[in-house]
Amino acid sequence: MSSSALRKTMIVLTAVGLCLAAYLTYVHYSGVTPPCSIKGNPCSEVQKSQYSLLIGIPVALIGLLGYIAILGSLLLAPDGERARLATMALILGGFGFSLYLTYRELFTLHKICEWCVSSAVIMTVLACLSVWRFLRGGDLLPVDAATGAATPGADEAPEPAAPLGAARS
Amino acid sequence: MSPGAGDDEGDLTRKQRREQARGERKALEQAEAARAKRRARLTQLGIVVAIVVVVIVGIAIASGGGGGKKTVSVGSHESNATVAEVKTLIDGIPQSGNTLGDPNAPVTLRYFGDLECPICKEFTLEVLPTLIPKYVRTGKLKIEYHSLETATREPEIFKTQQVAAYAAGKQNLGWYFIETFYHEQGEEDSGYVNEKYLQGIASQVPGLNLADWTDARSEPTYSNEVAADAQAANQAGFTGTPSFELGKTGGTLEKFEPGTFTEAGPYEAAIEKQLKS
Repeated sequence: MSSSALRKTMIVLTAVGLCLAAYLTYVHYSGVTPPCSIKGNPCSEVQKSQYSLLIGIPVALIGLLGYIAILGSLLLAPDGERARLATMALILGGFGFSLYLTYRELFTLHKICEWCVSSAVIMTVLACLSVWRFLRGGDLLPVDAATGAATPGADEAPEPAAPLGAARS
Repeated sequence: MSPGAGDDEGDLTRKQRREQARGERKALEQAEAARAKRRARLTQLGIVVAIVVVVIVGIAIASGGGGGKKTVSVGSHESNATVAEVKTLIDGIPQSGNTLGDPNAPVTLRYFGDLECPICKEFTLEVLPTLIPKYVRTGKLKIEYHSLETATREPEIFKTQQVAAYAAGKQNLGWYFIETFYHEQGEEDSGYVNEKYLQGIASQVPGLNLADWTDARSEPTYSNEVAADAQAANQAGFTGTPSFELGKTGGTLEKFEPGTFTEAGPYEAAIEKQLKS
């Protein structure tokens, strides 16, 4: 998978996660009952539990802000080592937070919220992709205009850009 | 072969060797640079992971283990405040079993709840204080409380706590028990409901004869009532609490989905509609 395709995949996943978090934030503030296919509507109970707040801030809102930050790092920062590190750090933070919330659902509340699980799955996939993207490097320099292929090893030992016409000398 | 040509060949070989050696050196340098970069990335990844682990463990510790059993301290400031609040809300309103309000009130609201359900607590503490003075106290509405297990994990505990409320209803004080329970509801899934807790709730119900209440709890009537409620909820298609049915008293009650458990507006609108129809 090219770096461009990987980045686009991550943008799409982050956008989906952002929509989920936005909906759960709306649920929190509006007091509406989220639809849930599990008997007893555990989603609603998880959303209303004491663990739906962290120091008084709804965890759904924290998730929404996290997804916005991740999307910002993917869309706004130019693709480079630092941007990839920042994206990975944000995603791993979100992944860790998702792990904590899933632990609370499974072992403290003994209830599972489908909406939260969906977000946790997205965050897990994003964590794998972001670590892979960061560790493998690649495609950091401009793609070859003629072939469309990335310069091999460009990320490993990037050379300063050669002046125009240098290739002919 | 001329000696000159041999020199050229020797020069070429030396040049090729030099270039080859330079190429190998460059390749080695690049490989070393790549290894150093990978090491640096792994170190950065390790640092990020370590920071995340520390932060998440900190959050987990700070937010507690989820335990914290809550028992009612009868006579405490909290208990006295609850008793006073409940008394202000429902004192003087007719009660019969699990029903609050005039039996001949024109509109009936059927409320399916679980005493451990935090959303039921929200509804009871935030919506009912508007509906009870406006519609129940004025004889326009009666509210029937029914049981549907959702938040309580153990079916036996669920039955015990709901039966305890119904047994208070035998003395026409069921709504005191229900209201007090919701006011002092403990942390969800912390296993706070035990005999001591139920006795604590009962002892805060004004005028409840504890010996009669204890005897009534073992009557099969009330556990059958809890089972019948579950069947009724199932037939109505209810899966969550609180759930409601609303309609004219004596007529068929329809499923009522207010969309909120904290705002009284939709409840008032629906009750007004029933009163005008």
